Amino acid sequence: MSEVVLELRKVTMKFGGVTALNEVDLVVKKGEILALIGPNGAGKTTVFNVITGVYKPTSGEVVFQGQSIVGIKRFKITKLGIARTFQNIRLFGESTALENVVTGADVHSKSGVVGAIFGTRRSRREEKANLERALELLEFMGIKKRAGQLGKNLPYGDQRRLEIARALATNPKLLLLDEPAAGFNPAEKVALAETIKKIRDAGYTILLIEHDMSLIMGVSDRVAVLDFGTKIADGTTTQVQNDPRVIEAYLGAPADAS
Amino acid sequence: MANLKASLNLRDKGAEFWERSPKWRRVAMAMSFIAFCYALPFLNNPLINTPGSDFQSVLFYPVGMYVLMAIGLNIVVGKSGLLDLGYVAFFAIGAYTMAILGTKTALNFWEILPIGVGLAMLSGVLLGTPTLRLRGDYLAIVTLGFGEIVRIFAVNTDSIGGSRGIAGIPTPPDFFNAKFTILDPKPYYWLLLTFTLLIIWMVRRMAARRPGRAWDAIRQDDDVAQLMGINTRKYKVWAFVLGAAVAGVGGVVYASQILSIVPDQFNLNISILILACVVFGGIGNVWGVILGAVLLAFTPERIRFLSQPRILVFGIALVVMMNLRPDGILPKKKREHFDPNWDTVEESGEGEIK
Ligand SMILES: Nc1ncnc2c1ncn2[C@@H]1O[C@H](COP(=O)(O)OP(=O)(O)OP(=O)(O)O)[C@@H](O)[C@H]1O
Ligand SMILES: [Mg+2]
Repeated sequence: MSEVVLELRKVTMKFGGVTALNEVDLVVKKGEILALIGPNGAGKTTVFNVITGVYKPTSGEVVFQGQSIVGIKRFKITKLGIARTFQNIRLFGESTALENVVTGADVHSKSGVVGAIFGTRRSRREEKANLERALELLEFMGIKKRAGQLGKNLPYGDQRRLEIARALATNPKLLLLDEPAAGFNPAEKVALAETIKKIRDAGYTILLIEHDMSLIMGVSDRVAVLDFGTKIADGTTTQVQNDPRVIEAYLGAPADAS
Repeated sequence: MANLKASLNLRDKGAEFWERSPKWRRVAMAMSFIAFCYALPFLNNPLINTPGSDFQSVLFYPVGMYVLMAIGLNIVVGKSGLLDLGYVAFFAIGAYTMAILGTKTALNFWEILPIGVGLAMLSGVLLGTPTLRLRGDYLAIVTLGFGEIVRIFAVNTDSIGGSRGIAGIPTPPDFFNAKFTILDPKPYYWLLLTFTLLIIWMVRRMAARRPGRAWDAIRQDDDVAQLMGINTRKYKVWAFVLGAAVAGVGGVVYASQILSIVPDQFNLNISILILACVVFGGIGNVWGVILGAVLLAFTPERIRFLSQPRILVFGIALVVMMNLRPDGILPKKKREHFDPNWDTVEESGEGEIK
């Protein structure tokens, strides 16, 4: 039916003795919001790190738009169309908000050092286009008035929004959001949920890590659940909500409590 | 301390004045500054004269040369955050290219210049490509080794004069009225100044565009830079190579002025001193770097009358300064920038994206 954007096939990721991911299968379809949930330390961020090439999986395949991307350099993966945000905000704090986003938009530019020195027509055209796109995205995220402020000086919530703008600037075919609502108050969460839906409606595909259940239930088309590195459920929000294994993972069987 | 605060404010005020100035005033200020630089050899001011050495020579070497090299090294250290302790190697390669081709072929200065720069860049690529994957300390050690290897290679290679070096390097051909001779350092100074201005202009263009953003990103967070799609390896090699090119220019000009070179002129001290200019002035800020280089090159000449203890005095002054201003005299300071258009937006989050 609908087109598969990303597929993880039996992905295992070991750190020394720790198995962070254990034969995880995952499919992300075009135009959907897939939520990835699970208790702390379940391996959610590790999934992002494997997809974006931060870690090479111990075994298994990561297929993006029909092409295996295991072992491909990180910047090339981003060029292919995967962009992410970070659980612990990692902006370029000494650059302005606008520069942060333009840096993302630069990905698809053709001109580089030589073009910049000689001010070629292509370089000037790309500079202008990237600047405009960045301003558009700042406006879309509701932080345009922050454009000239340094990343580190933005209020916390705006830093999270700026990370999304920066990732969107790369024009991703798949957008990975790692706990974008962490630290938000309920009103901010509602607003963010709307934004995420708008991003999807603009044609983007989103893989979302989130802890807030009401946010997840509100925005996701599907939900996948990780527990101790193993995928224990995958389906619609209702299916997952009623899955006994999920309930157990979240409420915690007494034997697991530590 | 109050004094230092005032100087800081002065800096901010200066930057603000510049930002608020209309274009014509900026052009006028820049032009007068440039004119002043070109007129420097004729200034006969007891404050800046150098008793004990010829002022016009001092302007060319060390002052002009240090400024040029510090601007080049700043691309590497300041813009992209790579620590290069063997920068003198590229200076040596430029100088030796001029010396060898100048004495063994009929090529003149202008023909040798691009070759010297090209060879410096090539060695930058050859050294940079394998080593720039190293981080911090390791890169510093490898580059330090490279600087020494180039010098030792020159000492041990008899076909390029060994430790006796190369003598009889030709001067550049006359340029309109300017005659390049050992007796008159002025034309060399002007030549160097012209190259320096050209390089500053190029660096500023790069800094404001994509390469500048890429270097900013790499310096701040290499991993995130990669994840934002920046080919960090490529941009680091570029920074390295551009730095090498600038040192190459310096080397060619230098050799054509002093007429004979020996390997020991290209020792580790030069690398360290140029790095000191960059750090002392303010890493990453081209005006700070220039000021740092001017002070570091000029002061020892200015106090030459102290003879023996002058280096000691100079060293103490350095230590005191670095304690007072650990980020350099004019540190890079990113100023927030506001466009009135941004303030008037209604933050409804309504915008559309494509
Ligand atoms: N680089 C690493 N080295 C060693 N262990 C790691 C590394 N990265 C992750 N781990 C381990 O892998 C497991 C999964 O971590 P991960 O960060 O993916 O969890 P998470 O689901 O994102 O948790 P949280 O909700 O707290 O963000 C944890 O036990 C963690 O300690
Ligand atoms: Mg996590």
